[in-house]
Amino acid sequence: MSQLVTGAPAERRAPGRFQLGWDVALRLGLLSIVIILAIVFTLTAPGFLSAQNLENNERQMAVIGILAIGETFVIITAGIDLSVGSMLGFSGILAALALGHGMPIPLAIVGVLVIATLLGLFSGVLIDTASLPPFIVTLGMLGILRGFTQIFGNGQQIAFGNSPFTDFAANNFLGIPQLFWVLVVIALVAAYLLHCTRRGRHVFAIGSNLEGARRAGINVRAMTFLVYGVSALLAGIAGVLLTARQAQGDPNAGTGYELDAIAAAVLGGASLFGARGSILGTFLGVLLVQILTNGLNLLNFDPQVARIAEGALLILFVYIDHWRKRRLATA
Amino acid sequence: MTQEAQTSAVPVLAASDVSKRFGSVVALQHIDFEVYPGEIVALIGDNGAGKSTLIKILSGTLAPDSGTLLMNGKPVKFASPRDAREAGIETVYQDLALAPDLDVPANLFLGRELRRAGILGMFDMLDVRAMRTRAQSHLDTLGVKIKSIDQRVDTLSGGQRQSVAVSRSVFWGRDVVIMDEPTAALSVAQSALVIELIKRVRAGGTPVVLISHNLPHVFEAADRMIVLRHGSRVGSLDPKTATMEQAVSLMTGALAATDLRAAAAGEADDRG
Repeated sequence: MSQLVTGAPAERRAPGRFQLGWDVALRLGLLSIVIILAIVFTLTAPGFLSAQNLENNERQMAVIGILAIGETFVIITAGIDLSVGSMLGFSGILAALALGHGMPIPLAIVGVLVIATLLGLFSGVLIDTASLPPFIVTLGMLGILRGFTQIFGNGQQIAFGNSPFTDFAANNFLGIPQLFWVLVVIALVAAYLLHCTRRGRHVFAIGSNLEGARRAGINVRAMTFLVYGVSALLAGIAGVLLTARQAQGDPNAGTGYELDAIAAAVLGGASLFGARGSILGTFLGVLLVQILTNGLNLLNFDPQVARIAEGALLILFVYIDHWRKRRLATA
Repeated sequence: MTQEAQTSAVPVLAASDVSKRFGSVVALQHIDFEVYPGEIVALIGDNGAGKSTLIKILSGTLAPDSGTLLMNGKPVKFASPRDAREAGIETVYQDLALAPDLDVPANLFLGRELRRAGILGMFDMLDVRAMRTRAQSHLDTLGVKIKSIDQRVDTLSGGQRQSVAVSRSVFWGRDVVIMDEPTAALSVAQSALVIELIKRVRAGGTPVVLISHNLPHVFEAADRMIVLRHGSRVGSLDPKTATMEQAVSLMTGALAATDLRAAAAGEADDRG
């Protein structure tokens, strides 16, 4: 560890202050961007604040948000899960097929989520036990799951008729879509697990110093299984909810959503180098991605413009994070 | 340490007739090693002398091919570092095993975090306040000065970081603390800080096994030095009477142990 060598005390104090200010600045910066964007779109984009548009945003945000929360757990361990979009599509198709065959709703949901979680645990096994790089394992899963999704769906939408299942996604509770309430509950539980529990602390420790965490007696293997399992479970939930919202299974659902999930987490302060990130930050990141996409859409931009902006922002934020890390290491 | 304590005391941790080989390479042959209560024992030797192998055996990372480990006179077997830790032996590794992104209390309690009492504890909830309080009082006891323990560890100086690592091991090491090159990569001033801390650890009653290449540091801190060469114990020196030249010649084989015993007093009173 070369950074053990230190300079004079005065030089040393600087990174400390720099570091402390960083998190606050990042969070406030993000919040101001969200607010500024919201104001700009309110003034320029017709119908941005209409009830219909807000509800649509909240529903869409629920799906992306749930994905991004799972991604946050993985990224904090210095891992990555590229398979969340495919897992979402896969779970959505499975749910549509199960319901189409007349399976009771609770059984269909639980079955799909169990399968998704097991697949996530399997990724964790490959990453920890077989020591494969997370991006390769989850990139492989991205392809595998999408392939199965297309085969199961036969390349077509799968209808299963209206039911309490689709009503759940269509209805509001206290004026806010129930899908959004699901996001809120999941975010609160995730924030508790990540920031208030021992296992949450271990997630950060693994991202900070894997070998050190192992030597400190942390069960790195179990925690790796856990984070990829959680990510897959949440992707499964998002897939089921999206199927309910669309009232049909779409084999293309979730394509490219890994970009949304990773971008939201990273814009929210999660570091691909590990040990940084928060559920609140990710929530703000999702809000930013959603407002940007929706606003540009309302302003009649090509939908791909939002994609371009999102990709560029992701690269920019990772660059800034990299710069921070280097500055800290050389301080 | 008085003569009386020395003769009556049982070693806190001892290795007896321990050998270890890796394939055809003999790493340790018939080594005896012992740490008595309240002393700092330095383990010195050139690269490849077997220091690391012995440390790994004492800390449970490696199992010896033959020989026994004794804690307070009773034979023990460590299947893993976890076993050794549970027996009360903590090790500070050369490459710091701290989590640089976490603050000081989080590092002191890494892997052994305190949970809230009652129902919240059942939900795995951290007791952040208790950990913070105990971390602060522990650092105060050891005289480790850190401006704010809420700082992330990577904002601390190298010496402060090493102090946190040492403090953690003392916090959990009920019986013995093993320190592998604790002053490597530290500046002179930072090293002095860590050496003072090691002496305070001894003053607090925890015996220390110190591995270091830095002979001036060893002479300053240790009560006794055990010299390894080519996997054998070639002698034991008292830093108060021995010279650095003697230590070097013993480490390099320029001087046989028997010559030295004549020159700088024998095994019997080398801890006097």
